[in-house]
Amino acid sequence: MISFLLSAWRAGLRSRSIQAVLVLGVLLVGVAFLSAAFSPRQPKTVALDVGLSGVRFSLVLFALFWVQELVGQEIQRRTVLFALTYPVPRGHYIVGRYLAVLGLLALAAVMLGMLLWVVVLNAGGQYEQAFGVAPGARYWLTILGLWIDAAVVTAFALFVASLSTVSMLPLALGLAFAAAGKSLGAVTEYLARGADGGGEVMRLAPVVDAIHWFLPDLSRLDWRAWPMYGVAPDSTAIAGGALVALAYIVLLVTLAVLAFNRREFQ
Amino acid sequence: MKLNANARLLLVTILAAMVFVPSAQRLKLAPRQSVNVEMQVALPLFVQVAMAAGDRFLAANIAAIRALWVDNFKMQKEEFKVLAKVQENVSWLNPGHEDNYYIAAAILPWNGEVEAAQRILARATTARRFDYQPAFYYAFNLLHFKGDAVGASNWMREAAEYLPEGNNRLQMQNLAAIWLDRAGDLDLAISVVEAMARQANRGDFRRYLQQRVIRLEMLRDLREAAARYQQRFGRRIVALSDLVESGIVAEVPKPPFGYGFAINEQGQVVLQDSPPRAPGGQR
Repeated sequence: MISFLLSAWRAGLRSRSIQAVLVLGVLLVGVAFLSAAFSPRQPKTVALDVGLSGVRFSLVLFALFWVQELVGQEIQRRTVLFALTYPVPRGHYIVGRYLAVLGLLALAAVMLGMLLWVVVLNAGGQYEQAFGVAPGARYWLTILGLWIDAAVVTAFALFVASLSTVSMLPLALGLAFAAAGKSLGAVTEYLARGADGGGEVMRLAPVVDAIHWFLPDLSRLDWRAWPMYGVAPDSTAIAGGALVALAYIVLLVTLAVLAFNRREFQ
Repeated sequence: MKLNANARLLLVTILAAMVFVPSAQRLKLAPRQSVNVEMQVALPLFVQVAMAAGDRFLAANIAAIRALWVDNFKMQKEEFKVLAKVQENVSWLNPGHEDNYYIAAAILPWNGEVEAAQRILARATTARRFDYQPAFYYAFNLLHFKGDAVGASNWMREAAEYLPEGNNRLQMQNLAAIWLDRAGDLDLAISVVEAMARQANRGDFRRYLQQRVIRLEMLRDLREAAARYQQRFGRRIVALSDLVESGIVAEVPKPPFGYGFAINEQGQVVLQDSPPRAPGGQR
């Protein structure tokens, strides 16, 4: 498994498309710096807020590109058959690849996190905002939440890649999954508050309720209110969000291994 | 004569350049369709969240930047309704957004959207227990726009709770008592807007607030002149020109933006919030 992990790690770092996505990540953090100029009262908070959105978006894109390159394309080009000739269970290939992507994502998260913090410190020039942003553990816990979010998306894309015969499918479905999972919290809250009296919309409430059975609420992994406003999230909500994510990851990676074990490569 | 492949490509390149250069020059002179940047549409919340890839914080920032970008000087009454809706949406997506409650307090109640401003400020008060200002502006709006001195005093006491123990908290509690008999006080309104302008980082927004202060100062001066007129002649003014004809003011001041001043049904000088009616009833 370690050899699969290391080969994927090296391939991930060498990949050209990932270099392009990394540039995109840096650009998004640059957008965060520019967005601070729009804020009359809290430029650092706005830079941090927009920057965290950019980091989340970049991590999800990294995850999907890496899964596509390191698993999807290997299956499509049949180069996966070379890996499967080793006398080890097929599941090792899937788990090794998954752990490699998690490691690459952690590296990207740390790099973008450090870059964003430098941007936040310099946003707004000399203006001293009344309520500063919180550095340190609160900030890095938020980055950790975004990394877990990307790990869930990676597991989903890996599961799709283990079934799919089209290499682009994990990317397309992964993007839809990331957007739907992230929206779920806002949609649920909107409906729980009566949807501004919209009767038609309220008919969707049972459907959205049912979606919770198979789609995790990724907004529960977004703890940015803590570094932005110093409002600590409920510790049970943090633990609950992390537990749901972990369980979902284990479920999807196991399903991916099962699907991969049964798959026939002609 | 038969041209070889390279010569044909060169010919196509020259022809394309001959079309491009004069058409680009002509296009430069063609009139541009002007884009209306004012507030005309408030997208449903679902659409805003979907457009931000499910990220409610990003959706809130996009809408807040849109609310900040708009040119308030040129907006019509109906557009302030849309702005209020956009800002209420931001407040729903991220109730703690500081810029949102701040510009809502600075713009909405002064343009007829008091209820929307109060909803935004109430949410911000709940989300920002460390910040006294949303509760303070809520209290001020109750006093100034709704004449509810008792309610305003209660909210001021709540605002004081969000300040650390010390002189500032005591001063605010003292203000809560004083405000009980200061409904409709223009000096108070001027000092609140002046304080907001001082806190603004962006120059254009600060200038907007400073012009609001000038407008309020003109209104205060006209009200004082109207009071002097009533004292001197024993009757209320019917038109602003009465002040000029009586010699109390040299001329009716022209505010930096808006539709000037008018006399309401109670005979009080007020800010006019729509274009004055022409003699034929046309606006």
